[in-house]
Amino acid sequence: MIEEFHYQIPWRTSSAHPGRHLGRHSGGEHDFQGHAPLISRPEAHNIDVHASLLDPFQQYVVRTFRQRSVINVTVIADLSASMGFQNKMATLAKFTEQAAYSAARSGDHFGFMGCGADIIPEFYMPPRWYKGGTAELAESLRHYHPASTNAKGLLTVQEYCPRHRSLIFLVSDFHYPLQDIATLFDSLLKHDVIPVVMWHPDEYEQLPEWGLFTLSDPETGREKTLLMRPGLKKKIIQAFNAQREQLKHLFIRNGRQPFYLNDAFEADQMTRYFYEQ
Amino acid sequence: MPALPQTGEERAVDIALTYPWALLLLPLSLVPFFARQAKSLRYSSLSILPFDGLSFLFSNGVKLLTALVMLLLIVSLTKPYQKEQTVERMGKGAQIVILLDRSASMNENFAGRYFGGGASESKVAMARQLLSEFVLQRQDDFFGMVSFSTAPIHVLPLTQDKEAILAAIRATKTRGRGVTNIAPGLYMGLSYFSDIPVTGSRVILLVSDGAAKIDIDTQTTLTQLFHQNRVMLYWVYLRNKDSARLDTKPANINESTTPEYFLHQYFQSMGIPYRSFEAENPQALQEAIKAIGELENKPIRYTEKIPRKDLAETCYLWTLAGLFLLLLIKYFEVKTEQKLIKRYL
Repeated sequence: MIEEFHYQIPWRTSSAHPGRHLGRHSGGEHDFQGHAPLISRPEAHNIDVHASLLDPFQQYVVRTFRQRSVINVTVIADLSASMGFQNKMATLAKFTEQAAYSAARSGDHFGFMGCGADIIPEFYMPPRWYKGGTAELAESLRHYHPASTNAKGLLTVQEYCPRHRSLIFLVSDFHYPLQDIATLFDSLLKHDVIPVVMWHPDEYEQLPEWGLFTLSDPETGREKTLLMRPGLKKKIIQAFNAQREQLKHLFIRNGRQPFYLNDAFEADQMTRYFYEQ
Repeated sequence: MPALPQTGEERAVDIALTYPWALLLLPLSLVPFFARQAKSLRYSSLSILPFDGLSFLFSNGVKLLTALVMLLLIVSLTKPYQKEQTVERMGKGAQIVILLDRSASMNENFAGRYFGGGASESKVAMARQLLSEFVLQRQDDFFGMVSFSTAPIHVLPLTQDKEAILAAIRATKTRGRGVTNIAPGLYMGLSYFSDIPVTGSRVILLVSDGAAKIDIDTQTTLTQLFHQNRVMLYWVYLRNKDSARLDTKPANINESTTPEYFLHQYFQSMGIPYRSFEAENPQALQEAIKAIGELENKPIRYTEKIPRKDLAETCYLWTLAGLFLLLLIKYFEVKTEQKLIKRYL
């Protein structure tokens, strides 16, 4: 069974399609907006008796409402070679499936973009209502071996994003220079971008205390031999924590706290993330 | 500017290669600095990992070691060797050619009986034993060896190699054959000295149990050769009880029945330093050899040739040691991602 999370947005969408989220357009009967004279809005069933009695001009006053609309939920995934570490792709597939399912359950549009050096056509799904079509995407993600040496395609995704402000989950390991990440966020300024950081414990916390091994970087092709010892492990964890701290500052400046995604991920964590905002 | 004289030490570093073309492979030893590791673990991104000095030193050390091992291997392939050298040495003693009688009668004991080739008290076995001891005592002497019976056999030229001369003496264990024919043996013994500079006293040590007639012409030539080469003669005469003595004139004097007496006369008449020892039993033989040992103790100067030395073996050994070290390092290396995690979990 696919787990589901609930997302909320602190902004009003300008989309005209009726949906679950706060919108800018008038209409509907749930989201109270204000009062208007009956003459301008001849909707007798909306007459507010109390407000009419208090009206200094002794006019009939009707309540006006804002319509609830759909939003676009888009998952933008970094599919560069570094994302091939351990089971990151499986985790990404799982998360994508849950996001698509949650969006469908909320009646929202779902889109997906996977980026290597460019947007990968196989992993491009324009924002639509996908009721059951995402299982295939998750399956192909699960079996995908990312090989791209960079994720420059991420900088072009804004051209393919919806016109309206939409909710974007930007999934990446963010092993890039902070400058590049800042540029990426600037290009997506119009949207509500939730940074989903995929770090695997094996990358830092679960490294062995002692050992001799050579690590290779799938993107640059460089190699590094490590003579592992507790001191060095501590240093690596510190480096990751420092990176985490810097990323946090960058993300908050762009409006959202980062969400850390690893293979122990549960959908409820995401729900809680939205409540905590 | 006059050329400096070459000394032994200077030539000690003379190293040459048998197959220099193998040096063409030398650039291969740089491969470790460029090649990728065969077993490297997939990681996400190295950019975030901090610089670690010890790891850096270690990994570069291993690369250097690998390069060194390859270098050594290539050098081993060229089969390097140290060139032949000559070393000048000072020694005490003489150049001694042992002229050993290998005639059939030497297989008998002093009583004139034959007990088989391996019998320990045969005359030749006794001579062998005592000569070996003699050689061992005389550390600085050169020894050569000729064994003779009907015809002489060139066994070993003058050498200081104790092992070789002892082996030559040991090699007389096979049964002797033929008759005692001294003149050709003496010729060959004398020929040993002809090519070598006179650096000390020269001795021919004739060990025989009999003699043979030497005709007048040969006698003259031999005398001449003895004088030319300045060679002394010591004759250890292994006498049977029934044989004639050297000094006393035998009763039935005849060149074919008592050649020993005539030979002794001839040796005395040559005008060279000559001594004879009559040995009738093992003890007497021992005393005779002891007397010779005391006689020759003059210092001599000589040069020794040290043969060329193969260095490839040493190179291979070092290569092997380096390879072993590398293997050890590889053994301790974590080779799979699974292992990396399992270790911790």
